[in-house]
Amino acid sequence: MDKFAVLQFYGLLKREVLEHQNLFIGAPAVVASLLLVACTWVATQVDQSQLAELLRYVPVMSDGLSIFELAPFFMLLAIPFILTLYICSVIYLTNTLYQDRKEMSVLFWQSMPVSNLKTVLSKVFVIVFVVPGFYVLIIFATYLITMAWLTILGINNDVDLVGIGYMFLAAIASLVLIYISIIVTSLWLLPSIGWLLLFSAFAKKTPLLWAGGVLILVGFLEDFIFGTQFLANWIASRTSDPRQYLIFDFQSVFERVFNYDTLFGVVVGGILITGAVFMRRFTD
Amino acid sequence: MKGLILGSRYRLLVVTLIIYMGFLVAEGMIIGREARAKKCVGFCFEFDSADLEEIWKRRNGNENIGVELESMGDV
Amino acid sequence: MTNIVEAKSLRKNYGNFTALDGVDLTIPKGAISGLIGPNGAGKTTTLKALIGLCDVEGELIVAGQDPRVSRHKLMENVCFIADVGILPKWLKVSSVIDYVEAVHPRFDRKKVEKFLSTTDIPANKRIKNLSKGMVTQLHLALVMAIDVELLVLDEPTLGLDIIYRKEFYDRLLNDFYDENRTIIVSTHQVEEIETLLSHLVFINKGKIVLDSLMSDLPSIYTEVLVDADKIAQADSLQPINVRELLGKKSYTYESVPIEQLEVLGELRTPSVADLFVAKLKEEKHG
Repeated sequence: MDKFAVLQFYGLLKREVLEHQNLFIGAPAVVASLLLVACTWVATQVDQSQLAELLRYVPVMSDGLSIFELAPFFMLLAIPFILTLYICSVIYLTNTLYQDRKEMSVLFWQSMPVSNLKTVLSKVFVIVFVVPGFYVLIIFATYLITMAWLTILGINNDVDLVGIGYMFLAAIASLVLIYISIIVTSLWLLPSIGWLLLFSAFAKKTPLLWAGGVLILVGFLEDFIFGTQFLANWIASRTSDPRQYLIFDFQSVFERVFNYDTLFGVVVGGILITGAVFMRRFTD
Repeated sequence: MKGLILGSRYRLLVVTLIIYMGFLVAEGMIIGREARAKKCVGFCFEFDSADLEEIWKRRNGNENIGVELESMGDV
Repeated sequence: MTNIVEAKSLRKNYGNFTALDGVDLTIPKGAISGLIGPNGAGKTTTLKALIGLCDVEGELIVAGQDPRVSRHKLMENVCFIADVGILPKWLKVSSVIDYVEAVHPRFDRKKVEKFLSTTDIPANKRIKNLSKGMVTQLHLALVMAIDVELLVLDEPTLGLDIIYRKEFYDRLLNDFYDENRTIIVSTHQVEEIETLLSHLVFINKGKIVLDSLMSDLPSIYTEVLVDADKIAQADSLQPINVRELLGKKSYTYESVPIEQLEVLGELRTPSVADLFVAKLKEEKHG
């Protein structure tokens, strides 16, 4: 691949991260801080010896389980971060092609030799691959701080640290699962990503309202004109099962990525993203 | 044709949505996805105001209101 | 190729408003071309069309490419500075330099750093914290560090004080322009740039009113300070504009032989500003 093209794409990704530091780094950092403060407060309410007793019980609980079998437990602990990621992703996708038109900087971005296709694809790439990486790093930092505190507690109370160390390895394994899970879920949600990008590029005001309003309108029109509800049923089939949003083992990754529903969603998402690329030509 | 579609953001949006819906409807028909939304079951969706009057009449003479509600359908 | 811009029958409507109404425009390579027109005349729409930021009907070739088809390829060879402050306000100076270096194949970082070393613009300051003049200086620095054939400027000095305006054009001419490069600039401040221009275009209500090399103007347009007893004769030659000047009447003529005008009074070539007013009044009165 052309070295300049790679560097150019990297420049686009860097731009996205710099512009949305609050969403990509600030938000998970705030969640991490709140969780640590909450845990610290809980720890101060509980007798230290009781906590130590719980730590002694850890090797018993995890006896016979591999770190990958323990990893799903830590995935559940990361749910606040994952929810934050989804909320920030909606904010990002809704604003990313709208904000620079609102403040006229789109004239600068478009005066550079970067195609609308590359611009839009860089935004999809950032939200699917790059942002989860930042969130995972912050989750890792949270686990690290927590483990350090538990280690100190263990040392002060003569608790065997092997159990704590084993849990930490399981936490690390969960990070890999979380990252893969988010990427696979992003592919599953590609139609939603495309939908938000389309209206981010289209709307002159309130893009989120447009995105929601048109979705309802299209569903209503389908029912009113044709008497069918394929859109509503399709959306329901993709959002009804919470298990669609988390992967708890590596074995199911291939099956989740290369199944008909995911691949059809990628095609539909591709149509909407293509619409967003063409919509980008309207700079007002 | 391309100029016509790409000349206006509204026309482009409508065309994109038509293609999007076309794919969904075609896929739904091919794989046999349910064309009508699944019927919602539950107290609220099957509630009939006539039942309320019935309940009120019976309540005045019958304390087992829970049984009355259950007999109306899935709750 | 001798022309950097070739446009025929450009049309653009915004709803019921006609922004461009059959614009034919040819700009020779190596020119410094001024696009002059009143508010709402179609200057910005024309310039945006040249760089593919605005879809128009008609034939359009800029630097050998159709901007509507391959905008991003065209922008490797064309730079644009708009009238509004378009540099992203949240970026730092150093970050915007990093960004342009990453995405533009013809950007020379050393040139922009050399330019900025002569200004008061700090590298770690955000663009929103810079004055309007500094933002324009920064944008000019970025543009001058890119090796392009065509520079399109849409009212680049709007709202700047005289010092920044003079410095802008001085740098542009001394450090950027050469005969292989073309500059197209639109501005209200005609007097400021008329000595710089080699090509002149007037636009009004979406139509081109004048398209001429500056060197051809003296042979086409003449202003005559008419003696009081020659007024009737002056009127009969169908001037495009008449105005009061120093107690006398000044008549502007287009394509009238000099021999017929010499007898009327004192002759001179009208300034671009006066010619602009004259052409607009001619349009108004038909």
